[in-house]
Amino acid sequence: MDTVAARRYLAAYRVCLRIAARQATTYRASFLLSSLIALVGNLAFPLVTVLIYGSGAGFPGWTADEVLLIQGVFTLSAGLSGLVLGAVVQVTIDRVRQGTLEVVLLKPVRPLPFIALTGVQPESAGVALGGAVLVACAASRSVQTISVGAALSFVGLFLAGLCVMAGVVLVMAATSFRWVGNSRLPEIADSVQMFGRYPMAIFPGALQGVVTFVVPVAMVGFVPASALLGRSVAGAWPAAATCVAFLAFGVWLYDRQIRHYQGVGG
Amino acid sequence: MGAAVEVENLSKTYVTYKRSGLFRREPTTVTAVDDVSLTIAPGEICGVLGPNGAGKSTTIKMLCGALLPTSGTVRVLGYEPFRERRRYVREIGAVFGQKSQLIWDIPPADSFLMNKAIYGVPDAPFRETLDELVSLLDVADKIEVPTRVLSLGERMKCEFIMAMLHRPKVVFLDEPTIGLDTIAKAGIRDFVRGMQERGTTFVLTTHDLEDVERLAEHVVIIGAGTKVFDGSLRDLKRSLGDTKIVELTLSRPASEADLDGLRVVGRRSDLELTIEVDMALLGPAELFAAVSRRLQITDITVRELPMERVITEIYTSSRR
Repeated sequence: MDTVAARRYLAAYRVCLRIAARQATTYRASFLLSSLIALVGNLAFPLVTVLIYGSGAGFPGWTADEVLLIQGVFTLSAGLSGLVLGAVVQVTIDRVRQGTLEVVLLKPVRPLPFIALTGVQPESAGVALGGAVLVACAASRSVQTISVGAALSFVGLFLAGLCVMAGVVLVMAATSFRWVGNSRLPEIADSVQMFGRYPMAIFPGALQGVVTFVVPVAMVGFVPASALLGRSVAGAWPAAATCVAFLAFGVWLYDRQIRHYQGVGG
Repeated sequence: MGAAVEVENLSKTYVTYKRSGLFRREPTTVTAVDDVSLTIAPGEICGVLGPNGAGKSTTIKMLCGALLPTSGTVRVLGYEPFRERRRYVREIGAVFGQKSQLIWDIPPADSFLMNKAIYGVPDAPFRETLDELVSLLDVADKIEVPTRVLSLGERMKCEFIMAMLHRPKVVFLDEPTIGLDTIAKAGIRDFVRGMQERGTTFVLTTHDLEDVERLAEHVVIIGAGTKVFDGSLRDLKRSLGDTKIVELTLSRPASEADLDGLRVVGRRSDLELTIEVDMALLGPAELFAAVSRRLQITDITVRELPMERVITEIYTSSRR
């Protein structure tokens, strides 16, 4: 992308953020309710973790605060990716089914960024904030000192986790060009990402390999949280490279599948 | 100057599935557009007509770069629309009567700003174009109101502004007056005519034949995916000969003998008849003499054949 195009995308992003904010203030009650539901929905499973550990059970080798740290990182990641890519799957499904993708294809930009820009979900900011608070609380109780190396590893692996989140969203959205009207795709995307919320040790070995190196959703919560805790995860950096490749595959697949768009009868 | 739009042997096929049992389905290939060729000159308004499902919208979508043709070539302003989409769409605009580009919950002015950013239109030209379009379409007091509260006519005018803010050279209009009242239609038509006078090329698909009669010099008719007519509006009307519709009001009912040899095509009452006359065989004076000899006429009106009739005849004869 050249600098002129990059400036245009940035300008468009600023306008879209302003539009999203205006839409949110148009329906204030709906926005507040959506934010609350998203926050509660994303913070409910850490509550389950607290209840599990409160009853004396738990994940072997992991304290409650360490598991909450994984889940906090996951929530932060979900909030940030939701802010940018949250609506891509649903908007793509709707536009393909209703035959309104032409409106997107008429713009002199790549369809994927356009859909992402116009589908900004401000309520995800609340989820990201909730995740950040959870990370801060859990880290303060489970991490004694954070070395510069651990902090840098966390940031790098967290960014890789965002790449996976985006990759899963894009692969799911891309399938909607052929698998028209499948309203369950967002749920499938959520289910796939779910594996990143827990310590990998609870999964069978083969599944650990799949969620670390094939569809590397372990990177969304588990791997970066482990880095912050100073626990090394074998193959973390090769897995991070897989995450970037996964995102690139998602972008390529989305762009490629658009040519199968057929519109609807006129 | 070269053509604005050049289409050669354009085809588009889809694979759809036909249910053949509870769980079984068979693939079926549907040809939506079949070997269509056409040329549109710069600054022209070309009306693309045809019944529902004829392939008009699919053709327009391929011309806009939204659909990939199965075969054939399309060049608009020298671009190959699908392959050069991002550069190409900067030069064109489109208004889809049934698909909005405006954002529903916020005022059109904000949607215009989004297009300004996406097309990278600098502030001064944007303001100048916006002021000009707003004044031409008379919507100055509407663009700051949320889109959802605008009337259909006001919304459609704002769709035109959205499509033309970047000053496109070719504009595709797909049913732009659908659902509009007479006044709103007239406003849109005046606007299109005004923009054409400034050099913009328009490609218009519509079911409203008045749109075509008032705007298009060049008409293309598509039926069952194939082109069945391509010529001027005058040629289209002459394609069925110089036939006219003559409406007669009589002072006494006509007998069968009186009507012998006349082609009666309508009879609203015993005193109101509609006949069809080929004016190439019978001039106005002879016509008047012929009917007044047999019938007691109190009023006579001579009209052109309705466009619906012309198109239906052409479409039907192409399928024989």
